[in-house]
Amino acid sequence: MTAHIVRSYEEQLQDLNNSIVKMGGLAETQLENAVNALIDRDQEAADETVGRDDRIDDLEKKIEEKVVDLIALRQPMAIDLRETVSAMKISSDLERIGDLSKNIAKRSRSTNIELPDEIKKNIKAAAALVQKNLKLVLDSYVDRDKEKAIKVWSSDEEIDNLVNVTMNSIIQFMTKNKDNIKASTHLLFVSKNLERMGDHATNIAEIVYYLVTGDNIDGVRPKGTTGVVTGR
Amino acid sequence: MTRETRLKKRYAAEQRFRMYGIISIIISLFFVGLLLFKVFTGGATAFIKTTLEVEVNYSKELLGFKKTLEPTLGEIKEADFFDVSYQAATSFYKYSNDEEEKFIKILLGGNYEQEIKNHLFENPHLLGKKVVLNLTTSDDLDQLHKGNFPRDIPEDRRRINNFQLKVYDSLVEQGKIKTKYNNYFLTHGDSRDAEIAGVAGAIIGSFFSIIICLILAFPIALLAAVYLEEFAPKNRITEIIEININNLAAVPSIVFGLLALGVLLNVFGLPRSTSLVGGITLSLMTLPTIIIACRASLQAVPPSIREGALAMGASKVQTVMHHVVPLAMPGTLSGTIIGLAQALGETAPLLLIGMVAFVVDVPSVPTDPSASLPVQIYLWSEQAERGFVEKTSATIMLLLGFLIIMNSLAVWARQKFERKWI
Amino acid sequence: MTMEEKIIAKDVSVFYGEKQALFDINLSIGKNKVTALIGPSGCGKSTFLRCINRMNDVIDICKVHGEIEINGKNIYDKSVDVVQLREKVGMVFQKPNPFPKSIYDNVSYGPTIHGLAKDKTEMDQIVEHSLKKAALWDEVKDRLNEPGTGLSGGQQQRLCIARAISINPEVILMDEPCSALDPIATAKIEDLIGELKETFTIVIVTHSMSQAARVSEKTGFFHLGKLIEFDSTDKIFKNPGNSMTQDYITGRFG
Repeated sequence: MTAHIVRSYEEQLQDLNNSIVKMGGLAETQLENAVNALIDRDQEAADETVGRDDRIDDLEKKIEEKVVDLIALRQPMAIDLRETVSAMKISSDLERIGDLSKNIAKRSRSTNIELPDEIKKNIKAAAALVQKNLKLVLDSYVDRDKEKAIKVWSSDEEIDNLVNVTMNSIIQFMTKNKDNIKASTHLLFVSKNLERMGDHATNIAEIVYYLVTGDNIDGVRPKGTTGVVTGR
Repeated sequence: MTRETRLKKRYAAEQRFRMYGIISIIISLFFVGLLLFKVFTGGATAFIKTTLEVEVNYSKELLGFKKTLEPTLGEIKEADFFDVSYQAATSFYKYSNDEEEKFIKILLGGNYEQEIKNHLFENPHLLGKKVVLNLTTSDDLDQLHKGNFPRDIPEDRRRINNFQLKVYDSLVEQGKIKTKYNNYFLTHGDSRDAEIAGVAGAIIGSFFSIIICLILAFPIALLAAVYLEEFAPKNRITEIIEININNLAAVPSIVFGLLALGVLLNVFGLPRSTSLVGGITLSLMTLPTIIIACRASLQAVPPSIREGALAMGASKVQTVMHHVVPLAMPGTLSGTIIGLAQALGETAPLLLIGMVAFVVDVPSVPTDPSASLPVQIYLWSEQAERGFVEKTSATIMLLLGFLIIMNSLAVWARQKFERKWI
Repeated sequence: MTMEEKIIAKDVSVFYGEKQALFDINLSIGKNKVTALIGPSGCGKSTFLRCINRMNDVIDICKVHGEIEINGKNIYDKSVDVVQLREKVGMVFQKPNPFPKSIYDNVSYGPTIHGLAKDKTEMDQIVEHSLKKAALWDEVKDRLNEPGTGLSGGQQQRLCIARAISINPEVILMDEPCSALDPIATAKIEDLIGELKETFTIVIVTHSMSQAARVSEKTGFFHLGKLIEFDSTDKIFKNPGNSMTQDYITGRFG
């Protein structure tokens, strides 16, 4: 696509794009660090993660300002309009992802116990899937690739199922180790957070699809059908 | 060259340019002033005449009425005034022989008998009485009294001989020579006698000519311009017509005189020397001027007005007549009045159609023979008698006056009817 | 032709002498809807607009091919009287052009020449009604005899609109009606268009895309004499089908 005749407009849009990419990168890092802090019981890493959340919050505010400016000054149309609105929504989802990572890091401080291998494995698997989806959806934004977006959108079910499995294993552990109820509860919350992060990644996928095509991804998002997660 | 010197040169050039302009204006104004001065000083005296106080005896016997009779006004008008006039004309100075009698008699103007008659007709109760009247003197006496005849040249080169000079001086001493407003100038037609010659005929003649010119030229020119500008297709034919109209405006006016002579007088057999023919000739001359002015005004009307009217569902004719023409009126009127002012001053074509004949009566209809103001000026300027000189200048004054009035009308009309159209 | 289609253009091409200005335009204008025509300068949108009330007839070298049907009848048919056509299809121009007459006479001119009023009372009513509908009555009701050219730009344009609607047309064509006006006057006219469309079918040519987006239901994008895209305004401005349309709308252009 040719550039805007007004170059500063072009630059503004590019700047917005870059901010989202940067924010996404930060979110990815935060997630990685939080999970590691939990699994490795690394106090320092946990503190760092909690401290860095401010940067994501700042970015969200900045992006919001840029979006308002763009709308007021440029009255964007068609693709530019979708870009602007999408950036606003994506930054909101990324900020939530960041908050959830911070939450995981915080809770990791309170789960200072040796975790059984099975739980570790499950949490790692769930986190890995979430990370994979997050990376894929950010790639789909950068490349404006709707196929990647569709892939992320359809794999939310997988995450839900994995989280279900994780939570079941934690509940089992909890029932067997009554003095570790507090830690186990935190672990349950962590699992829930992972599942929420997956949902946010899927949200972003929907937004990217709309951004690229101008249409909504049809159909109801498939949910994991059994288990604690859905309550059904 | 530095910037400062360049700047100085530019300012100097500007000053010089201004000086040229001012000098040109001064020179032009000087010549105009000279012309006006000459004309006004020469012509002002035409508006006054010299009179001689004379005793007139409206005796019934001299008029041929019985003493006891009381004649009606009609009968008075039929009477023979010769004796009364003769007595009046010879009684104001003692003469000793026939030659002197002749010299004295011709001191009175050529119309004195009519003046005596008119006074009695207007005051019939004076019949049988002696009255003192101020009769118009001859043009020679008139010019002498106005100081236009030098007295010190040899007698045989003068129009007034020594005896007449003696009579004149004595009359002046007696206070019988007076100057009054010259009522003849504006009310009388032309005459061989300079003292009673007037421009009334020429004024009426010019007036009829201009009116006829206006009545013919304005509508034809307006409709022609409207058609050419708004309706005619833009092809070769209309181009040719346009070129020809522009050229017509530059044709020497005498050619129109020839045209009128050949067509109006010879082919159509219209009466010669009349203001009817003069008016038609002038209208032919004025047509191109009005057409060109009207077309320029029509072109100046912005197309947005036409579009607005057309979009309302007005037909082409409605658009043109309701909207475009009213807006073009100020310019057209200006052009018309300027054209008429030009026509007023035209001499050559009118000479050719014969509005040059010596016409005494003031014309009452356009088909009466008449003269026009510029023609009258030409005729009088040819006359030998001194008395006509001041009248020529006075007529020029009149003509200039009319032209100024008409041009002022043009300006007033333009301002009054000018409408703003955004 | 459905009940909703007021004007249908069929293969309309326009030539100025040898030069072709419009190439086979096909579109339909909906009844009581506002249709916007957008495009860069010289793209033919104004030329097309002027075909609808045959104002192009005034230009000698302009030739129009194809058909334009209004209410099912081709207006370029030999039997159609242009004067009557323009009674049904009114026009408002880019630069306000009120007649150099009084406000009253401006509005009463159309009804006068078309004989729409029997007497002065009826004419007064028509004038008042038109001025009210053009949202100008309150501002001028005390000075109807003052010249129309003495009003402000925005008022003059509303006067031109009142003039156009005084003869009860079915269609109003607007050729960039707000381009000579300030933002407030523009807003008033846009508001007015929203009301007018309930009575009239409106076709508006505009340079302002945001204006087209605001006032119209359908938009046509013209480029170099061709109709590139014609769709609902919603679609054109959020997700146009043609990349050239998108490039123009977003200010990119090739």
